Formats: sequence, structure tokens, C-alpha cells
Amino acid sequence: MKDKKETTIEEAGKELPFNVPENYFNNFTLQMESHLSSKPTLPRKTIKPWMYMAAMFIGVLILSQVMFNVLQTTKVINDDSYESYVLSQINENNIIDLYVESYEENN
Amino acid sequence: MSLTEEELISQLNQPSKKSAAFSIVFKTYQERLYWHIRKMVLIHDDANDILQNTFLKAWNGLEGFRGEAKLSTWLYKIATNETLTFLANKKLKNNHSIYDIEDIMIQNLKADTYFNGNDAQLKLQKAILTLPEKQRLVFNMKYFEDITYEQLEDILETSVGALKASYHHAVKKIEKYFEDKD
Repeated sequence: MKDKKETTIEEAGKELPFNVPENYFNNFTLQMESHLSSKPTLPRKTIKPWMYMAAMFIGVLILSQVMFNVLQTTKVINDDSYESYVLSQINENNIIDLYVESYEENN
Repeated sequence: MSLTEEELISQLNQPSKKSAAFSIVFKTYQERLYWHIRKMVLIHDDANDILQNTFLKAWNGLEGFRGEAKLSTWLYKIATNETLTFLANKKLKNNHSIYDIEDIMIQNLKADTYFNGNDAQLKLQKAILTLPEKQRLVFNMKYFEDITYEQLEDILETSVGALKASYHHAVKKIEKYFEDKD
């Protein structure tokens, strides 16, 4: 079995079982040269330093605006939170009792 | 007078010399790259298309190439990626077929005018097609081209250890294929 296996792989060898049309590689060269000479190179887009500065400045402005809005919202939430906290500590019945006491004192 | 690789890369980055330098590039590397692609896709017409795409990609990518890697490594990488993309697209198109893409490739190979292999060579190609694509690449490059593991490491961006293991397993699978099909 081993001999048969080795013989089979040896028969396959390392030669590629493929060929190409006649003059393929010469023609390929000509084809590529013709193709590339008709195709302009894509111009490299150069970004000038002032564009980097402008982009950075705009980025900072936008970020500042975003941060400012976040801070404002946080402040409101905090204020709301504080008020909610205070109200949560007060029992409704206590408020009513205070009101009734105050009313009775004044009357 | 032939140019060194450094001189060639330098000329590729000079607008006035770029075209002539690139002509040298595809004259130098076209055959190697063609056979590298052909071993994976098997059919001449497909290999021709991919080879053209490879050089077009290389031409358009020249400005980004500064000689960090060897020119051959860079070109092999482009050719490999183009080949794998081609095979992936082929698989997608074949999604609804009852036949495996590998079966279709073998049928096409048998019918291809530019296939001149004997039974053993056809069997070897069938065996190679049973390997996953990346392993197929490793096997083909090592077995047929005898590319060193260090070069393979650069092209395939895989460690030498992993490549050796991959090749070893590929050989075992192919040997088993031959045993089972005898």
C-alpha cells in the first residue's frame, strides 16, 4: 500500500499540469503596457497643512459645543435631581399636618 | 544594465520614469505571479484576469509603496488577495448550486484546453482542492515553488511555526486522499 501510494505521488511529481496559449506572456506585456499608457495615474490628493489646522479648529468648536450642551443638561438634571431628592424625603402627610397647624395658629 | 531592486523602487516613485520602471516590474514578475495564481484557480482565463487586476492594483498602489517590503513580497501579497477574493466571489455565486465549487473547478479543469496533466497529476489537483484555501496556498507555494518559510511568513503574514504545521498537515491529508482513492 505504501509503495503504491509513493508511486502515485511520484507520478504526479512537481511539474504543473498546466500550459498557456502561445506567446501569452509576450502578449500580456504588450497588453499591460498599452492599458497603462491609456490610463492616467490617479492623482494623489494632497492635503495642505492649513486644511489640517482648519479641520482641527472646526473639530474643537464642535466638541466644545457638544461638551457645553452636555454640561448644561447635567446641571439641569442635577437641579432636577436635587429637587426630586428633597421632595422624596418629605412625607405628604407631614406637609398636610404642617399646613393644618399653620392654619390653626393663624386662625 | 539591470537595475537593483532599490533602483527600481526609486524609479517607480519618479513620475518621469514610473512607466518604464513598471514595465520592468511586470516583465520580471508576470510569470511567477501567473503560476502562483493559476495553481489556485486552475483555469487560464481566470488566472489571466486576476493577473491583470494584480498589476493594475500594484500600479495604482505604487505611491503607497516605499520599499518597506521586497517588491516580490508586495506583489505576491496583492496577487494572493486578488485570488482569494476571486475564489470567495465564485463561492458566493455558486451558493445555490447542488455542486461544491471544488467539484465544478475540477470539471472545468478536465475540460480546459490548457490542462495537460496525466491521471496522477489530476488526482493531485483534486486532493489539493480538498484543502482549505489558505492551506492550499501554503501547500502550492511550498510544494511546487519551494518558497522558503521565511518568505511565506512575509507574504501570508503567518508565523513560520504555523506555516510548517499547515504544510505538514496538508501533506498528510493529500497522502490520505491518495490512499483512500486507490
